Amino acid sequence: MNNTKRYWAGLEELNETPEYKELLKEEFPAQQSVDEFLADDQLKESSTGRRDFLKFMGFSITAATLAACETPVIKSIPYVNKPEEITPGIANYYATAYYDGNNYGSVLVKTREGRPIFIKPNTQYGIKAGALNAQINASVLGLYDSARLEGPMVDKQASDWSTADARVMAGLENAQNVVVLSNTIASPSTQRAIDAFTARYNARHIQYDAVSYSGIREAHRQLFGKAAIPNYHFAEAKTIVSVGADFLSTWLTGNHFASDYASRRKPEGEWMSRHFQFETNMSMTGTNADTRVAIKPDQYGKVLAALLAGVSNGSAPAVDGVSELALNNAVKSLRDSRGASIVVSGSNDPDVQRIVGAINAALGNYGKTIDIDRPINLFKGDDKAMAELVRDMNGGKVDALIVYGTNPGYSWYNRDEFAAGIKKVKMSVAFSIFADETASRCTVICPDNHYLESWNDLSLVDGRVDLVQPTITALFKTRQAQESLLKWAGIESDYYSFMRQTYNSAYTADMMYTDVAWNEALHNGFMATAPSVIEAAPSSAEGENTAAPSIDVADAVAKVSKTSGGNWQLALYQKTGIGNGDQIANPWLHELPDPVTKVTWDNYITMAKADMEELGLNTYIAQRDPASMVKVTANGRSVELPVYPQPGQKRGTIGIAVGYGRGAGNERIGKAAYQTGENGAHIFDENGNAMPVGQNVYGFATLVNGYPEFLNLDVQVEAINKTYALATTQMQHTYMGRESVVKETTLGAFVAEKGKKKGDASWNKAHRLAVHEDVNGDGVIDARDKKSIREFDLWHEHPVEGVGHRWGMTIDLSACLGCGACVTACHLENNVPVVGKDEVLRHRDMHWLRIDRFYSSDWSQERGKEEGKGVIETYGLMEDPAENPQTVHMPMMCQHCNHAPCETVCPVAATTHSNEGLNQMTYNRCIGTRYCANNCPYKVRRFNWFNYLGYDKFKNVNPAQDMLTRMVLNPDVTVRSRGVMEKCSMCVGRIQEGKLNAKKDGRPVKDGEVQTACSEACAMGAIRFGDLNDKGSAVKSISENNRSYHALEEIGVQPNIYYMVKVRNTEDQQA
Amino acid sequence: MQKEAAIREPLILGDKSYKDITNDVVGPIEGPAPRAWKLMITIAGLIAFYGVGCILYLIGTGIGAWGLNKTVGWAWDITNFVWWVGIGHAGTLISAVLLLFRQKWRMAINRSAEAMTIFAVMMAAVFPGIHMGRIWVSYWVLPLPNQFGSLWVNFNSPLLWDVFAISTYFSVSLVFWYIGLIPDFATIRDRMVKPLPKKIYGILAFGWSGKAKNWTRFEEVSLVLAGIATPLVFSVHSIVSMDFATSVIPGWHTTIFPPYFVSGAVFSGFAMVQTLLLIMRKAMRLENYIHVRHVEYMNIVIIVTGSIVGVAYLTELFISWYSGVEYESYAFINRFSGPYSWSYWIMMTCNVISPQLFWVKKWRRNLMFTFVMSIVVNIGMWFERYVIIVTSIHRDYNPSSWGEFHATSIDIGIFIGTLGIFFTLFLLFARFFPVLALNELKTILKSSGENFKKKKDHSDNH
Repeated sequence: MNNTKRYWAGLEELNETPEYKELLKEEFPAQQSVDEFLADDQLKESSTGRRDFLKFMGFSITAATLAACETPVIKSIPYVNKPEEITPGIANYYATAYYDGNNYGSVLVKTREGRPIFIKPNTQYGIKAGALNAQINASVLGLYDSARLEGPMVDKQASDWSTADARVMAGLENAQNVVVLSNTIASPSTQRAIDAFTARYNARHIQYDAVSYSGIREAHRQLFGKAAIPNYHFAEAKTIVSVGADFLSTWLTGNHFASDYASRRKPEGEWMSRHFQFETNMSMTGTNADTRVAIKPDQYGKVLAALLAGVSNGSAPAVDGVSELALNNAVKSLRDSRGASIVVSGSNDPDVQRIVGAINAALGNYGKTIDIDRPINLFKGDDKAMAELVRDMNGGKVDALIVYGTNPGYSWYNRDEFAAGIKKVKMSVAFSIFADETASRCTVICPDNHYLESWNDLSLVDGRVDLVQPTITALFKTRQAQESLLKWAGIESDYYSFMRQTYNSAYTADMMYTDVAWNEALHNGFMATAPSVIEAAPSSAEGENTAAPSIDVADAVAKVSKTSGGNWQLALYQKTGIGNGDQIANPWLHELPDPVTKVTWDNYITMAKADMEELGLNTYIAQRDPASMVKVTANGRSVELPVYPQPGQKRGTIGIAVGYGRGAGNERIGKAAYQTGENGAHIFDENGNAMPVGQNVYGFATLVNGYPEFLNLDVQVEAINKTYALATTQMQHTYMGRESVVKETTLGAFVAEKGKKKGDASWNKAHRLAVHEDVNGDGVIDARDKKSIREFDLWHEHPVEGVGHRWGMTIDLSACLGCGACVTACHLENNVPVVGKDEVLRHRDMHWLRIDRFYSSDWSQERGKEEGKGVIETYGLMEDPAENPQTVHMPMMCQHCNHAPCETVCPVAATTHSNEGLNQMTYNRCIGTRYCANNCPYKVRRFNWFNYLGYDKFKNVNPAQDMLTRMVLNPDVTVRSRGVMEKCSMCVGRIQEGKLNAKKDGRPVKDGEVQTACSEACAMGAIRFGDLNDKGSAVKSISENNRSYHALEEIGVQPNIYYMVKVRNTEDQQA
Repeated sequence: MQKEAAIREPLILGDKSYKDITNDVVGPIEGPAPRAWKLMITIAGLIAFYGVGCILYLIGTGIGAWGLNKTVGWAWDITNFVWWVGIGHAGTLISAVLLLFRQKWRMAINRSAEAMTIFAVMMAAVFPGIHMGRIWVSYWVLPLPNQFGSLWVNFNSPLLWDVFAISTYFSVSLVFWYIGLIPDFATIRDRMVKPLPKKIYGILAFGWSGKAKNWTRFEEVSLVLAGIATPLVFSVHSIVSMDFATSVIPGWHTTIFPPYFVSGAVFSGFAMVQTLLLIMRKAMRLENYIHVRHVEYMNIVIIVTGSIVGVAYLTELFISWYSGVEYESYAFINRFSGPYSWSYWIMMTCNVISPQLFWVKKWRRNLMFTFVMSIVVNIGMWFERYVIIVTSIHRDYNPSSWGEFHATSIDIGIFIGTLGIFFTLFLLFARFFPVLALNELKTILKSSGENFKKKKDHSDNH
């Protein structure tokens, strides 16, 4: 076909003018510079009229003005080459492990678009199903801490790696006496790297733990000839006796123990463990004990000696001031469960620990509940070597000191001596990621990567190696410490290859993608290896006491019986959230209420109320009633701290948490480590230094036979005329006899009515209301005519029963230990704002999920009646907890009521019921009348009082206000604006994700597939989530269990959350 | 024409003619502003400005500027709201209910009582507005057709009923007040010499010519509006009380609330009228029009409503025990013995004990005593709302969330500020508006005026 059509771009082309032909020859027109253009005389001849000028000017001004009005530009840069595994909007999970020298956990890291944003347990392959705690949970925030070092520092000046390396190598070449000081190395490859380094420079390697457990190690050496910390299997222990060990929280690997322990606290099980706790402070573990006895620190050894005698002879000798009944019950229970019991102690005195060992040996627990053959590879710190090192440093005998993973400038009991010593070291190098108390005094800082940026291998127990893999490229110019050590040791290998070579000496880089076994191990987060990849740590104790191992502990018993303390005794402890102080700048952990005191953001002294009254201290702590301060003096040091009245605290004793008072010398360790005032700004002391939160009390530890003991038997306490506000999230500590909020019973009572139907047992009676109608058909209308609460209704049923999904939750009060891991998980998942101390003080904490902690009271209305007290007076007495109370931990969040009182009162229908049983909050629609919060019987709704994202008051506490830290926000959850209500959404985003996944696969949602942040974080299995309409779901069957109940059932709001009655394994209800 | 027994105390004292009434009421408007007025409006204006400043700070910063918290979500805001709405009850009650009952003594007080109502309701309306977290979307409470999709207001919510109740009450009260003002504006217009004020009052007078036809329609409209306004007097506070009564919170969830709130409102409204009028009659020399007889009548209303309120308090206490519900009984035990019991006992003293003193005739006819008592009653009524709101929610069902409430300077500043705004408006009213319904008063001069009674007496004797 002949095409005659022609297309042309302009008349010039059509006419084929000569100019056009000329132009065609040049692909690009000639360049004309601006100068040439302006120099063109023709321009002068052209004229712009006044009107045109005004038009142009008007347009330009308008355009410029409009441009200025533009909304802020949010940069979102697309991938040039999209990584295969990253799909925007879809999360990736990487298995890794957490170890900071104090906590150990197998975790999954959730990354979104390459950013790690959430830490959850590695339930499938992790140790104890990945049981973790609040500290591990919240550790992701440290990655984005804007106070991190952004590169190496030489002589306190920012530098680069080549300078730093040159400086370090030069220093090392001239050094005679090189020391590597680290925390306990749990990584075989790191140990190899250190060994390579020490071999190259003929250096010493000393391990040091901030909180020492070396007494246990030494005791086992003396008892069995094996210096090791055994592994405890609480899941097999029918009787547990702890003397001062907070083993569910911070003692050794508390997160793993807690998960085991909780598995035996459900009364439906084959058996339920019985737990006796003898302790000074009210610890989280103590709150869960069946029998708790308050003792003084100088009685730890005596109680254990009595137990030893009791276990051997059948009856325990009396210990002054300790309930004989409790002691003998413990002995009886221990003797009844030989080989299935555990006795532990929090003391670090080898003599005390030897008695513990002797009791366990006498009961035959070794090899059964206590595993000494596969011990815990942590806490190998050698305190004597450390003490010697500090002496050497001060004597000028150390030429080069390399500090890795530890901060003795803060945590060594004689920190001033350490600080003085480090000045005399010719060259000191720190690997710290912050310029902390130790690093800031070092010559060179070679900042390590955050663990989420690192490769590593860790071995908690022999036979298993957990792998640590980076989830993001290093944010700053940091370098993994091991790599620095290798480089200085002259080994030209990156740490990853070096680590691979630990397990396969033939490893080469081309095997990176082909080693299937390795990749599978990396995917799962662990590999099973040959045992004993880590050599036993050298112990300086060897040679000093070469006596043959023996379980004869008569000398120890004789010693402890002579121990006696002064008027005031002190027990130091680690807080569940703050631990040894590593994460002191983590606002999530500060805002996490302490499981026991419910105090946030502070360090304080716990004291018995009666003692406080004697000292004339304020015992009512509230917004306008600050705590009184006292001065505590010990070991020649003194600190001033506020006093908090703690039920269960032994009289004549005080407790103080370590881990606080960091950054006192203006070290740069993060904004949240410092006190903030009413306007949110940091508070400065008279020298212009920002005041840290709390005080460093490591200095109160005492040395017993060379072992740091976190008990101090003689301290001075002196009231001073100062006050200090303490911010608590809970003011009322008893549940005022309101048994429809908290239901509890004893194991005996539970077993007696175990077979009864739900609602019939005396410990979980269903609520029935009297009606004016002959219900029971006896012909009379009287008080016996009652109807179930479910038969009264003002509203139509929501059509959720049996239709589609009905999401629900069950919370077992018997299994909840109060650890707060769920609270931090919820905080992370839902971008819950951190509000800081002043706002918590004003009762404006934003927690969507809180754990209510109730103490028992000595009083009840029944007792008041018996003793002739009036109702009003008795209510007053019921407000006070008992001196040594029993405790209930009750996680409380939105109950997602099917007849929610909040929904009816909202004028704009911003909170509504979903057809899946959720009580939904539509932030966009909320106008902020707060009527819903007032009308909530559970008080779980939280209001955005301020713009937490922008208001200056929160700049030092809220991670969302820091340009770097806000990277941690979960992109799936809206960050709420000022003036709207928020509350637990039951992680509706996760529900939606689960439903979509199921839909894509064309199947129904599987039970357990969707987990809320809290249920996932709960290693105890106390919180469970699922579909109540799914007949086979766990929550459905639990909701039908006779222990399940609705909190405040009689209001008739019909929650979708079921609680399960707490059962205590004790006969005496009011011990 | 109405007849009144000669032995009855006259309503208008002194030797007054129609002209005197006009002069007495309109005179102050025409003359220069007295120094006292200037001083008072300066003080009130400064307080009002401070209050506006506090409100702007609140809106700029967030509700956190108040002392509210997770447990106590309402405190001074809604207390002030209910208090002001309550005060706003007397005006319409006086003008509408007393009109229907043909109580002629109302004529001396209804104008300023209605003005007080309007201003009090305006102050009340401030609080639901500013207590919202996002005041900029407050119009969402109106059932407006919108483009948000199928979004509509929630007709189950008592807060929405409040919106309707308050706005209806405000508009009806305003119209009622304005209708009454028309003939008086016309009188002012006719006397004005300066052109601008004459023009303004002319516009305000709506072309009133004083013809018989005008008066007939005026009377008819007044009656019709009185008929509309009367149920509103009872509905507004009933509905406000439902904010509490329909909730689940012990201490709020009480069916006695509607009548109890209405009588409390009348109680506080009359007290506020007393406070204002006792000052005004002195300042504006209206002693001949507002005197002991009026004050005594109002004090009788205060005794009656105060007693109803007292009975309601005791009934609540009884029911909390009789119900057998532990939360309910604890809520009331906590009211009188808990941390906020001081506010309960202030309330009881001011509202239950103090009005009973008016049984003594000498006291209820004593103007100074009445003035003091009127302030006491309003303090008591403020605390009544504070007790209901704060003490109920600070300790409700779940003991773990029990808390405290402490007012901040912004809480206090805004409340004081609304008092400032209120008095500023009232002072402006007193300066530029006829403070007595002068044309209505003239209708009773011959029946209830002292001089006419005397004359009649005199002529009867001859």
